[in-house]
Amino acid sequence: MAHRSRSRLALVILILIALQFYLRPRIWDSRVAPDFLLLALLVYATRVRPGTAAIAGFLSGLMMDALVPARFGAAALANTVIGFLAAWGRAVFFADNLLVHAGFIWAGVWLRDLIVLLASETTGRGLLWQLLIWSPLQGLTTAVAGVVVLVVFRNWLAIRLEE
Amino acid sequence: MFEYPERSRSRRDTIAFLVCLVLACGALFAPAPQADAMARAIRTTVLVPLIWLQTRAEEGKASRSRLAAIQAQRDSLARMAQLVPELRDENGGLRALLGLSQRLPTRFVPAEILHQSQPTDGRTLLLNVGTADGVQPFQPVVAPEGLLGVISSAESHSSIALTWAHPEFRASAYTEGDGVFGIVASSTPGASDEPLLELRGVPYRDSVPPGTLVLSSGLGGVYPHGIPLGRVIGVARELTGWERVYLVRPAANPGQAAHALVLLDGGDRAVDSAYPASGGP
Repeated sequence: MAHRSRSRLALVILILIALQFYLRPRIWDSRVAPDFLLLALLVYATRVRPGTAAIAGFLSGLMMDALVPARFGAAALANTVIGFLAAWGRAVFFADNLLVHAGFIWAGVWLRDLIVLLASETTGRGLLWQLLIWSPLQGLTTAVAGVVVLVVFRNWLAIRLEE
Repeated sequence: MFEYPERSRSRRDTIAFLVCLVLACGALFAPAPQADAMARAIRTTVLVPLIWLQTRAEEGKASRSRLAAIQAQRDSLARMAQLVPELRDENGGLRALLGLSQRLPTRFVPAEILHQSQPTDGRTLLLNVGTADGVQPFQPVVAPEGLLGVISSAESHSSIALTWAHPEFRASAYTEGDGVFGIVASSTPGASDEPLLELRGVPYRDSVPPGTLVLSSGLGGVYPHGIPLGRVIGVARELTGWERVYLVRPAANPGQAAHALVLLDGGDRAVDSAYPASGGP
Protein backbone atom coordinates (compact mmCIF):
# COMPACT_ATOMS: atom_id res chain seq x y z
CA MET A 1 0.00 0.00 0.00
CA ALA A 2 2.77 2.40 0.99
CA HIS A 3 4.68 1.40 -2.14
CA ARG A 4 1.63 2.19 -4.29
CA SER A 5 1.22 5.54 -2.58
CA ARG A 6 4.89 6.39 -3.17
CA SER A 7 4.60 5.40 -6.83
CA ARG A 8 1.60 7.66 -7.29
CA LEU A 9 3.38 10.57 -5.60
CA ALA A 10 6.39 10.00 -7.87
CA LEU A 11 4.12 10.00 -10.92
CA VAL A 12 2.47 13.28 -9.89
CA ILE A 13 5.91 14.86 -9.41
CA LEU A 14 7.07 13.57 -12.81
CA ILE A 15 3.97 15.07 -14.42
CA LEU A 16 4.69 18.42 -12.72
CA ILE A 17 8.31 18.36 -13.93
CA ALA A 18 7.12 17.61 -17.47
CA LEU A 19 4.64 20.51 -17.23
CA GLN A 20 7.44 22.83 -16.07
CA PHE A 21 9.56 22.10 -19.11
CA TYR A 22 6.87 21.48 -21.74
CA LEU A 23 3.73 23.45 -20.86
CA ARG A 24 5.28 26.44 -19.11
CA PRO A 25 7.34 27.66 -22.12
CA ARG A 26 4.10 27.74 -24.15
CA ILE A 27 2.39 30.07 -21.68
CA TRP A 28 2.36 33.70 -22.76
CA ASP A 29 4.43 35.52 -20.10
CA SER A 30 7.09 33.39 -18.43
CA ARG A 31 7.41 35.80 -15.48
CA VAL A 32 3.88 35.05 -14.24
CA ALA A 33 3.56 31.49 -15.55
CA PRO A 34 3.09 28.91 -12.76
CA ASP A 35 6.26 27.40 -11.33
CA PHE A 36 5.47 23.68 -11.52
CA LEU A 37 8.90 22.72 -10.16
CA LEU A 38 8.32 24.60 -6.91
CA LEU A 39 4.81 23.14 -6.81
CA ALA A 40 6.32 19.64 -7.12
CA LEU A 41 8.67 20.45 -4.23
CA LEU A 42 5.78 21.68 -2.06
CA VAL A 43 3.61 18.65 -2.88
CA TYR A 44 6.52 16.36 -1.99
CA ALA A 45 7.55 18.34 1.10
CA THR A 46 4.11 18.13 2.66
CA ARG A 47 4.24 14.33 2.50
CA VAL A 48 7.68 13.64 3.92
CA ARG A 49 9.71 14.56 6.99
CA PRO A 50 11.35 18.02 7.12
CA GLY A 51 14.87 16.60 6.68
CA THR A 52 13.92 14.72 3.52
CA ALA A 53 12.10 17.80 2.24
CA ALA A 54 15.19 19.95 2.83
CA ILE A 55 17.32 17.50 0.81
CA ALA A 56 14.72 17.50 -2.00
CA GLY A 57 14.68 21.30 -1.91
CA PHE A 58 18.46 21.46 -2.09
CA LEU A 59 18.59 19.12 -5.12
CA SER A 60 15.77 20.87 -7.00
CA GLY A 61 17.41 24.22 -6.23
CA LEU A 62 20.70 23.00 -7.71
CA MET A 63 18.80 22.06 -10.87
CA MET A 64 17.39 25.58 -11.16
CA ASP A 65 20.80 27.09 -10.41
CA ALA A 66 22.30 25.12 -13.29
CA LEU A 67 19.65 26.52 -15.64
CA VAL A 68 19.94 30.12 -14.39
CA PRO A 69 23.51 30.45 -13.07
CA ALA A 70 23.21 34.21 -12.43
CA ARG A 71 24.14 33.41 -8.82
CA PHE A 72 24.86 29.71 -8.37
CA GLY A 73 23.55 28.41 -5.04
CA ALA A 74 20.79 31.01 -4.58
CA ALA A 75 17.97 28.68 -5.61
CA ALA A 76 19.50 25.77 -3.67
CA LEU A 77 19.47 27.91 -0.53
CA ALA A 78 15.92 29.13 -1.17
CA ASN A 79 14.46 25.71 -1.98
CA THR A 80 16.17 24.11 1.03
CA VAL A 81 14.46 26.62 3.31
CA ILE A 82 11.13 26.32 1.46
CA GLY A 83 11.20 22.52 1.56
CA PHE A 84 12.02 22.38 5.26
CA LEU A 85 9.45 25.04 6.22
CA ALA A 86 6.74 23.42 4.07
CA ALA A 87 7.24 20.01 5.72
CA TRP A 88 7.46 21.58 9.17
CA GLY A 89 4.44 23.80 8.54
CA ARG A 90 2.38 20.89 7.34
CA ALA A 91 3.19 18.98 10.53
CA VAL A 92 2.20 21.97 12.67
CA PHE A 93 -0.93 23.23 10.87
CA PHE A 94 -2.19 19.89 9.54
CA ALA A 95 -4.83 21.46 7.29
CA ASP A 96 -6.61 19.85 4.34
CA ASN A 97 -8.31 23.01 3.18
CA LEU A 98 -7.95 24.16 -0.41
CA LEU A 99 -7.60 27.82 0.52
CA VAL A 100 -4.90 27.02 3.08
CA HIS A 101 -3.07 24.97 0.46
CA ALA A 102 -3.34 27.85 -2.04
CA GLY A 103 -2.03 30.33 0.52
CA PHE A 104 0.75 27.92 1.39
CA ILE A 105 1.84 27.70 -2.26
CA TRP A 106 1.55 31.46 -2.81
CA ALA A 107 3.73 32.13 0.25
CA GLY A 108 6.24 29.52 -0.91
CA VAL A 109 6.71 31.23 -4.29
CA TRP A 110 7.02 34.67 -2.71
CA LEU A 111 9.49 33.52 -0.06
CA ARG A 112 11.55 31.64 -2.68
CA ASP A 113 11.78 34.80 -4.79
CA LEU A 114 12.73 36.89 -1.74
CA ILE A 115 15.60 34.55 -0.80
CA VAL A 116 16.84 34.19 -4.40
CA LEU A 117 16.81 37.95 -4.97
CA LEU A 118 18.56 38.74 -1.69
CA ALA A 119 21.16 36.02 -2.29
CA SER A 120 21.67 37.48 -5.78
CA GLU A 121 22.29 40.90 -4.21
CA THR A 122 19.25 42.50 -5.85
CA THR A 123 18.31 45.66 -3.96
CA GLY A 124 16.34 48.88 -4.28
CA ARG A 125 13.41 49.39 -6.60
CA GLY A 126 14.21 46.31 -8.67
CA LEU A 127 13.71 44.14 -5.58
CA LEU A 128 10.48 45.92 -4.60
CA TRP A 129 9.11 45.76 -8.14
CA GLN A 130 9.74 42.01 -8.30
CA LEU A 131 8.37 41.29 -4.82
CA LEU A 132 5.31 43.52 -5.08
CA ILE A 133 4.28 42.85 -8.67
CA TRP A 134 5.77 39.80 -10.37
CA SER A 135 6.22 37.43 -7.42
CA PRO A 136 2.61 37.83 -6.16
CA LEU A 137 1.32 37.27 -9.69
CA GLN A 138 3.47 34.18 -10.17
CA GLY A 139 2.43 33.00 -6.70
CA LEU A 140 -1.20 33.41 -7.71
CA THR A 141 -0.89 31.40 -10.93
CA THR A 142 1.14 28.73 -9.12
CA ALA A 143 -1.47 28.55 -6.35
CA VAL A 144 -4.27 28.12 -8.93
CA ALA A 145 -2.26 25.38 -10.67
CA GLY A 146 -1.62 23.80 -7.26
CA VAL A 147 -5.33 23.75 -6.39
CA VAL A 148 -6.11 22.11 -9.75
CA VAL A 149 -3.41 19.47 -9.14
CA LEU A 150 -4.69 18.77 -5.61
CA VAL A 151 -8.29 18.43 -6.80
CA VAL A 152 -7.42 16.25 -9.79
CA PHE A 153 -5.03 14.00 -7.87
CA ARG A 154 -6.71 14.12 -4.43
CA ASN A 155 -7.20 10.36 -4.35
CA TRP A 156 -3.64 9.64 -5.38
CA LEU A 157 -2.26 12.15 -2.87
CA ALA A 158 -4.61 10.89 -0.13
CA ILE A 159 -6.04 14.35 0.54
CA ARG A 160 -9.35 14.71 2.32
CA LEU A 161 -10.35 18.18 1.28
CA GLU A 162 -12.69 20.09 3.57
CA GLU A 163 -15.92 21.35 2.05
CA MET B 1 16.71 2.49 23.57
CA PHE B 2 13.37 3.50 22.02
CA GLU B 3 12.59 6.10 24.62
CA TYR B 4 12.74 9.21 22.40
CA PRO B 5 12.16 8.06 18.80
CA GLU B 6 10.41 11.30 17.73
CA ARG B 7 13.11 13.50 19.24
CA SER B 8 15.76 11.43 17.47
CA ARG B 9 14.01 11.79 14.11
CA SER B 10 13.52 15.48 14.71
CA ARG B 11 17.24 15.85 15.42
CA ARG B 12 18.05 14.02 12.18
CA ASP B 13 15.73 16.39 10.29
CA THR B 14 17.48 19.40 11.77
CA ILE B 15 20.91 17.97 10.92
CA ALA B 16 19.83 17.26 7.32
CA PHE B 17 18.48 20.80 7.03
CA LEU B 18 21.67 22.33 8.40
CA VAL B 19 23.88 20.21 6.13
CA CYS B 20 21.83 21.30 3.08
CA LEU B 21 22.04 24.93 4.23
CA VAL B 22 25.82 24.70 4.57
CA LEU B 23 26.14 23.05 1.14
CA ALA B 24 23.91 25.71 -0.45
CA CYS B 25 25.94 28.50 1.17
CA GLY B 26 29.12 26.74 -0.02
CA ALA B 27 27.74 26.76 -3.59
CA LEU B 28 26.71 30.41 -3.18
CA PHE B 29 30.19 31.53 -2.18
CA ALA B 30 32.14 29.09 -4.36
CA PRO B 31 34.64 30.69 -6.78
CA ALA B 32 33.14 31.36 -10.22
CA PRO B 33 35.13 28.63 -12.09
CA GLN B 34 34.01 25.95 -9.61
CA ALA B 35 30.40 27.19 -9.69
CA ASP B 36 30.44 27.17 -13.51
CA ALA B 37 31.88 23.65 -13.53
CA MET B 38 29.15 22.40 -11.18
CA ALA B 39 26.41 24.08 -13.24
CA ARG B 40 27.84 22.64 -16.44
CA ALA B 41 28.07 19.15 -14.93
CA ILE B 42 24.39 19.27 -13.94
CA ARG B 43 23.31 20.67 -17.32
CA THR B 44 25.19 17.99 -19.25
CA THR B 45 23.84 15.09 -17.20
CA VAL B 46 20.51 15.14 -15.35
CA LEU B 47 19.14 18.19 -17.14
CA VAL B 48 19.76 17.00 -20.72
CA PRO B 49 16.29 15.42 -21.16
CA LEU B 50 14.57 18.41 -19.55
CA ILE B 51 16.40 20.93 -21.76
CA TRP B 52 15.51 18.74 -24.76
CA LEU B 53 11.85 18.78 -23.66
CA GLN B 54 11.83 22.57 -23.28
CA THR B 55 13.50 22.99 -26.68
CA ARG B 56 10.73 20.91 -28.26
CA ALA B 57 8.14 23.06 -26.46
CA GLU B 58 9.71 26.28 -27.77
CA GLU B 59 9.85 24.83 -31.27
CA GLY B 60 6.21 23.78 -31.03
CA LYS B 61 5.26 27.28 -29.90
CA ALA B 62 6.98 28.82 -32.91
CA SER B 63 6.00 26.11 -35.39
CA ARG B 64 2.71 27.68 -36.51
CA SER B 65 4.26 30.99 -37.48
CA ARG B 66 7.23 29.16 -39.01
CA LEU B 67 4.94 27.02 -41.14
CA ALA B 68 3.17 30.10 -42.48
CA ALA B 69 6.52 31.76 -43.20
CA ILE B 70 7.89 28.66 -44.92
CA GLN B 71 4.78 28.35 -47.09
CA ALA B 72 5.05 32.00 -48.08
CA GLN B 73 8.74 31.55 -48.87
CA ARG B 74 8.07 28.43 -50.93
CA ASP B 75 5.39 30.23 -52.94
CA SER B 76 7.70 33.14 -53.58
CA LEU B 77 10.81 31.13 -54.40
CA ALA B 78 9.63 29.78 -57.75
CA ARG B 79 8.87 33.27 -58.96
CA MET B 80 11.98 34.80 -57.45
CA ALA B 81 14.28 32.20 -58.99
CA GLN B 82 13.57 33.64 -62.43
CA LEU B 83 14.25 37.21 -61.36
CA VAL B 84 17.16 36.96 -58.93
CA PRO B 85 19.61 39.47 -60.47
CA GLU B 86 16.93 42.11 -61.04
CA LEU B 87 15.43 41.55 -57.62
CA ARG B 88 18.81 41.82 -55.91
CA ASP B 89 19.47 45.22 -57.49
CA GLU B 90 15.96 46.40 -56.77
CA ASN B 91 16.14 45.14 -53.19
CA GLY B 92 19.42 46.96 -52.56
CA GLY B 93 17.99 50.16 -54.01
CA LEU B 94 14.80 49.97 -51.97
CA ARG B 95 16.68 49.18 -48.76
CA ALA B 96 18.93 52.17 -49.31
CA LEU B 97 15.92 54.35 -50.13
CA LEU B 98 13.99 53.29 -47.01
CA GLY B 99 17.02 53.16 -44.70
CA LEU B 100 16.37 49.52 -43.91
CA SER B 101 19.04 47.28 -42.46
CA GLN B 102 21.17 44.88 -44.48
CA ARG B 103 21.77 41.25 -43.72
CA LEU B 104 24.23 40.51 -40.96
CA PRO B 105 27.68 40.55 -42.62
CA THR B 106 28.93 37.84 -40.31
CA ARG B 107 28.27 34.15 -39.69
CA PHE B 108 25.58 33.54 -37.10
CA VAL B 109 23.41 30.79 -35.67
CA PRO B 110 19.78 31.39 -34.62
CA ALA B 111 18.86 30.29 -31.10
CA GLU B 112 15.73 29.81 -29.05
CA ILE B 113 15.85 31.32 -25.57
CA LEU B 114 14.65 28.85 -22.93
CA HIS B 115 13.28 31.04 -20.15
CA GLN B 116 13.14 29.70 -16.59
CA SER B 117 10.94 30.46 -13.58
CA GLN B 118 13.69 32.04 -11.46
CA PRO B 119 13.36 35.78 -10.75
CA THR B 120 16.99 36.17 -11.87
CA ASP B 121 16.18 34.75 -15.33
CA GLY B 122 17.26 37.55 -17.67
CA ARG B 123 20.67 38.02 -16.09
CA THR B 124 21.67 34.77 -17.73
CA LEU B 125 19.84 33.01 -20.56
CA LEU B 126 19.76 29.34 -21.50
CA LEU B 127 20.04 28.91 -25.29
CA ASN B 128 19.23 25.76 -27.26
CA VAL B 129 22.43 25.92 -29.35
CA GLY B 130 25.87 24.75 -28.31
CA THR B 131 29.30 23.69 -29.50
CA ALA B 132 27.71 21.30 -32.03
CA ASP B 133 26.34 24.42 -33.77
CA GLY B 134 29.67 26.25 -33.60
CA VAL B 135 28.89 28.23 -30.45
CA GLN B 136 31.86 29.05 -28.22
CA PRO B 137 32.34 31.22 -25.12
CA PHE B 138 32.78 34.97 -25.72
CA GLN B 139 30.62 35.06 -28.85
CA PRO B 140 28.11 37.94 -28.85
CA VAL B 141 24.36 37.28 -28.61
CA VAL B 142 22.11 39.80 -30.36
CA ALA B 143 18.41 40.43 -30.88
CA PRO B 144 16.89 42.45 -33.76
CA GLU B 145 16.81 45.47 -31.43
CA GLY B 146 20.41 45.25 -30.21
CA LEU B 147 22.88 43.50 -27.96
CA LEU B 148 21.64 40.91 -25.45
CA GLY B 149 24.93 39.64 -24.06
CA VAL B 150 27.74 37.18 -24.57
CA ILE B 151 28.10 33.41 -24.36
CA SER B 152 29.64 32.53 -21.01
CA SER B 153 29.68 28.74 -21.33
CA ALA B 154 28.73 26.26 -24.00
CA GLU B 155 27.91 22.56 -23.95
CA SER B 156 27.22 20.39 -26.99
CA HIS B 157 23.55 21.32 -27.44
CA SER B 158 22.98 24.20 -25.04
CA SER B 159 24.78 27.28 -23.84
CA ILE B 160 24.51 30.02 -21.24
CA ALA B 161 24.56 33.69 -22.23
CA LEU B 162 25.51 36.35 -19.71
CA THR B 163 23.29 39.34 -20.52
CA TRP B 164 23.74 43.07 -20.02
CA ALA B 165 21.55 42.79 -16.88
CA HIS B 166 24.26 40.75 -15.14
CA PRO B 167 26.41 42.76 -12.68
CA GLU B 168 29.59 41.48 -14.37
CA PHE B 169 28.63 42.67 -17.87
CA ARG B 170 30.94 45.26 -19.48
CA ALA B 171 31.18 46.47 -23.10
CA SER B 172 33.23 49.18 -24.72
CA ALA B 173 30.87 51.67 -26.37
CA TYR B 174 30.61 54.99 -28.17
CA THR B 175 27.81 57.41 -28.83
CA GLU B 176 26.46 58.05 -32.28
CA GLY B 177 27.21 61.52 -33.53
CA ASP B 178 29.88 62.96 -31.26
CA GLY B 179 31.60 59.60 -30.83
CA VAL B 180 32.10 59.85 -27.09
CA PHE B 181 33.66 56.64 -25.77
CA GLY B 182 32.91 54.90 -22.50
CA ILE B 183 32.21 51.58 -20.83
CA VAL B 184 28.65 50.27 -20.65
CA ALA B 185 27.70 48.25 -17.56
CA SER B 186 24.54 47.18 -15.77
CA SER B 187 23.02 50.02 -13.75
CA THR B 188 23.56 50.24 -10.00
CA PRO B 189 20.71 48.39 -8.23
CA GLY B 190 18.05 50.68 -6.89
CA ALA B 191 18.60 53.43 -9.43
CA SER B 192 15.36 52.62 -11.22
CA ASP B 193 12.39 50.25 -11.16
CA GLU B 194 13.37 49.02 -14.63
CA PRO B 195 16.73 47.43 -15.46
CA LEU B 196 18.96 50.04 -17.09
CA LEU B 197 22.51 50.36 -18.31
CA GLU B 198 25.15 52.93 -17.42
CA LEU B 199 27.62 54.58 -19.77
CA ARG B 200 30.63 55.08 -17.53
CA GLY B 201 33.96 56.81 -17.93
CA VAL B 202 32.70 59.70 -20.10
CA PRO B 203 35.11 62.64 -19.69
CA TYR B 204 33.58 65.57 -17.79
CA ARG B 205 34.15 67.93 -20.74
CA ASP B 206 31.94 65.80 -23.01
CA SER B 207 28.19 65.94 -22.66
CA VAL B 208 25.81 63.44 -24.21
CA PRO B 209 22.24 64.66 -24.87
CA PRO B 210 19.27 62.42 -23.98
CA GLY B 211 18.17 60.23 -26.86
CA THR B 212 21.68 59.63 -28.18
CA LEU B 213 22.18 56.10 -29.46
CA VAL B 214 24.95 54.11 -27.74
CA LEU B 215 26.68 51.44 -29.85
CA SER B 216 29.36 48.86 -29.23
CA SER B 217 32.76 50.21 -30.27
CA GLY B 218 34.39 46.92 -31.23
CA LEU B 219 37.32 47.60 -28.89
CA GLY B 220 38.34 44.57 -26.89
CA GLY B 221 37.50 42.11 -29.64
CA VAL B 222 34.41 40.52 -28.03
CA TYR B 223 31.56 42.64 -29.42
CA PRO B 224 31.68 43.77 -33.06
CA HIS B 225 31.49 47.44 -33.94
CA GLY B 226 28.01 48.89 -34.36
CA ILE B 227 25.57 46.85 -32.23
CA PRO B 228 23.00 49.15 -30.56
CA LEU B 229 23.17 48.98 -26.76
CA GLY B 230 20.53 51.59 -25.95
CA ARG B 231 19.71 55.27 -25.77
CA VAL B 232 20.87 57.81 -23.22
CA ILE B 233 18.07 59.00 -20.93
CA GLY B 234 20.02 61.30 -18.60
CA VAL B 235 22.90 61.75 -16.19
CA ALA B 236 23.05 59.13 -13.44
CA ARG B 237 25.81 60.78 -11.40
CA GLU B 238 29.01 62.73 -11.90
CA LEU B 239 32.37 62.89 -10.27
CA THR B 240 33.05 66.62 -10.29
CA GLY B 241 35.78 67.57 -12.72
CA TRP B 242 36.49 64.00 -13.68
CA GLU B 243 33.73 61.97 -15.35
CA ARG B 244 30.01 61.67 -15.91
CA VAL B 245 27.97 58.48 -15.77
CA TYR B 246 24.91 58.38 -18.04
CA LEU B 247 21.82 56.22 -17.70
CA VAL B 248 21.02 54.25 -20.84
CA ARG B 249 17.70 52.58 -21.66
CA PRO B 250 18.68 49.20 -23.18
CA ALA B 251 17.78 48.46 -26.79
CA ALA B 252 16.94 44.79 -26.23
CA ASN B 253 15.15 43.16 -23.30
CA PRO B 254 16.56 39.73 -22.36
CA GLY B 255 13.57 38.97 -20.13
CA GLN B 256 11.16 39.22 -23.06
CA ALA B 257 13.27 38.03 -25.99
CA ALA B 258 12.26 34.65 -27.41
CA HIS B 259 14.86 34.31 -30.16
CA ALA B 260 18.43 35.50 -30.58
CA LEU B 261 21.39 35.24 -32.93
CA VAL B 262 24.82 34.09 -31.78
CA LEU B 263 27.53 35.78 -33.89
CA LEU B 264 30.07 33.08 -34.68
CA ASP B 265 32.80 35.45 -35.85
CA GLY B 266 32.86 37.20 -32.47
CA GLY B 267 34.01 40.79 -32.62
CA ASP B 268 35.99 40.43 -35.84
CA ARG B 269 33.50 41.96 -38.28
CA ALA B 270 31.52 45.19 -37.88
CA VAL B 271 27.75 44.79 -38.07
CA ASP B 272 26.67 48.45 -38.43
CA SER B 273 24.91 47.75 -41.71
CA ALA B 274 22.60 45.19 -40.10
CA TYR B 275 21.01 47.74 -37.81
CA PRO B 276 18.89 50.66 -39.06
CA ALA B 277 20.46 54.09 -38.87
CA SER B 278 19.51 56.21 -35.89
CA GLY B 279 16.22 57.95 -36.38
CA GLY B 280 16.43 60.15 -33.30
CA PRO B 281 15.14 59.50 -29.78
